[in-house]
Amino acid sequence: MNHDMSASLLLVAPELTLTLAGLALLIWAAFFGDRHATGISIAAVAALVGAGALTSLAPAAGGNAFDGLARVDAFSTFAHVLIYFAAAVAIIIAPRFFRAHTPGGHGLMRAEYPILIVFAAVGMGMMVSATDLMTLYVGLEMNSLAAYVLASFIRTDTRSAEAGLKYFVLGALASGILLYGMSLLYGFSGTTNFAGIAAAMGADFSGGLVFGLVFVLAGLAFKISAVPFHMWTPDVYEGAPTPVTAFFASAPKVAAMALTVRVCIEAFGPTTLDWQQIIIFLALASTILGAVGAIGQRNIKRLLAYSSINNVGFALIGLAAGSEAGVAATMSYMAVYVVMTLGSFLCILQLRDAGGAYVEDIARMAGLGKARPWLVGAIALFMFSLAGIPPLFGFWPKFLVFDAAVRAGLLPLAIIGALSSVISAFYYLKVIKTMAFDEAPADAPQWTAEGNAVETGLIGFTATAISPLGYLAIAPLAYLSGNAALALFR
Amino acid sequence: MTDLSQYLPILIFLGIAVGLSALFVFLPMGVSRLTGTHNPDAAKLSEYECGFPAFEDSRSQFDVRFYLVAILFIIFDLEAAFLFPWAVSLQDIGWAGWTTMMVFLAELALGLVYAWKKGALDWE
Amino acid sequence: MIGLTHYLVVGAILFVLGVLGIFINRKNVIIILMAIELILLSVNINLVAFSAYLGDLVGQVFSMFVLTVAAGEAAIGLAILVIYFRGRGTIAVDDVNRMKG
Repeated sequence: MNHDMSASLLLVAPELTLTLAGLALLIWAAFFGDRHATGISIAAVAALVGAGALTSLAPAAGGNAFDGLARVDAFSTFAHVLIYFAAAVAIIIAPRFFRAHTPGGHGLMRAEYPILIVFAAVGMGMMVSATDLMTLYVGLEMNSLAAYVLASFIRTDTRSAEAGLKYFVLGALASGILLYGMSLLYGFSGTTNFAGIAAAMGADFSGGLVFGLVFVLAGLAFKISAVPFHMWTPDVYEGAPTPVTAFFASAPKVAAMALTVRVCIEAFGPTTLDWQQIIIFLALASTILGAVGAIGQRNIKRLLAYSSINNVGFALIGLAAGSEAGVAATMSYMAVYVVMTLGSFLCILQLRDAGGAYVEDIARMAGLGKARPWLVGAIALFMFSLAGIPPLFGFWPKFLVFDAAVRAGLLPLAIIGALSSVISAFYYLKVIKTMAFDEAPADAPQWTAEGNAVETGLIGFTATAISPLGYLAIAPLAYLSGNAALALFR
Repeated sequence: MTDLSQYLPILIFLGIAVGLSALFVFLPMGVSRLTGTHNPDAAKLSEYECGFPAFEDSRSQFDVRFYLVAILFIIFDLEAAFLFPWAVSLQDIGWAGWTTMMVFLAELALGLVYAWKKGALDWE
Repeated sequence: MIGLTHYLVVGAILFVLGVLGIFINRKNVIIILMAIELILLSVNINLVAFSAYLGDLVGQVFSMFVLTVAAGEAAIGLAILVIYFRGRGTIAVDDVNRMKG
């Protein structure tokens, strides 16, 4: 082992930890089966926490690993911490859901669930530190392959299987489109390295490279579910088991968004004016369609799917600015978005009737306010924050991306974004009204107040973070996201 | 007139090959006849002894368990595809390359252990 | 003389066939799996052609990774298809419509 190799291995210590943990847990699961699911879950969360702690080893100036295949810097560290946090929450909320007695007969929590999340986290970690098309592709697929299995995790439920099938087909198509673009980029620039591609694009931005850029951005838009490549999102979010949906809405979104940012800035840097148009279009279409599409949704998971599309559009507004402030705003947006969306899904996981079955139909939630006032309060908090209503912390990142867009001369984009925010606020208001003030229908479920200390604690934590108290976090968040953006524009 | 003697090695090789292969085919047949285990049935007489008739409509359905075996086969098929370029470049990549490939093989072995324990290798 | 352009055209045709195979096919999900393989292999043709043209090995290394991922994807696709079939008793594309929004 030479010096380069050991230095590289040290840089990717979080990924190594998670890989080793994942393999060890896999063997544990093979020999002891689902009886040890709880122990395996705890070990997986511990591994994620450990990997999160190891990200602090990253050198402040950043470092290239494996001859420029990957780069560990403030940007990748920022995304890593968010991803590991979301992945750990997705493991913590799962056992209660899978153990619940449901009409589908889901049975026990399976030991493979935390292991798949750990492997997906390895892939996402690779995605956000990739500086080469090969690392990008392998990381993306490691995450996607685990995600396809997670979507169809409840094998006896036809909706879950259908969600897995749809996610698989459209995800594979997206990978294919992305890959075709990458082959063109490689062929016309002669390298798979981001810096090399940027140099080739700066020298001569010709036919093959244009097509490569378009195909790559289309594939990435699929992965962040930006309109017009969003069609899989509502179905997959509705059909997948709720903890898995919470995972899909948080960690892979951050990873894919961070990847898009890095590709746009580092690989396509010299052609900012060209990709900016595409990103502006994606941002506009996502904010508008995400807001309008939510109207008329009867299933709360579908509603949150459209909310995630809408929020991805806002995050893209920051990237569309193409400036350092814009990238910092996008990363701040993703940090706050992860907290808001995990909080919303934690609340949805509390909506169980007396039989223990989960209620997803919004109409049946009428009258919930009388039975569980605190829960409805928390849901209202999260939804208004997702819509960006001022006193709540969800407003702050929206302000940041608008500010960055206006400074970059994209005033119309910011105005349309703000208008779509009003539309979604209106619809969230209607949902809250149904829950809090409408009379309970005759077939209303008997809500159980049975809680779970960990989940209640997590709801309390996320709710505090997005309440006006969250404004205390502005200074550290601005510092961290500013450093992350600086690492890309070094 | 070419010198036929230079083809002698290949002639000897062919002779030995034909002789040996004939031995492999006919010796078990002869031994089984002599020892009394010659007992042909429909499965033994089928062309590939794999459970499928060799000639029938190709659109027929067959057991989904074959897919499972095929999937496991593909993994190790690709492992071989990685081993070839590794083997020919081992001189250049040295111990780092050797260790990396051993880690890769160990990971695949762990995967196989998992599949085995889960019963993916049992037909029934 | 067969040059780089010919390979790229073959790759592009196969890619379009694969994408159309996913969208036009109304009969069977297995055909979608084959279409996905077709897309990935068209990319491989591109990569190997570029690699030979540029005299650079990276493209061939990349195509090995693509092959590996394609195998993993096929395995997971088939597994999901099997559990889908067990639940619904059909793999016709038109029947994949449990959820509507």
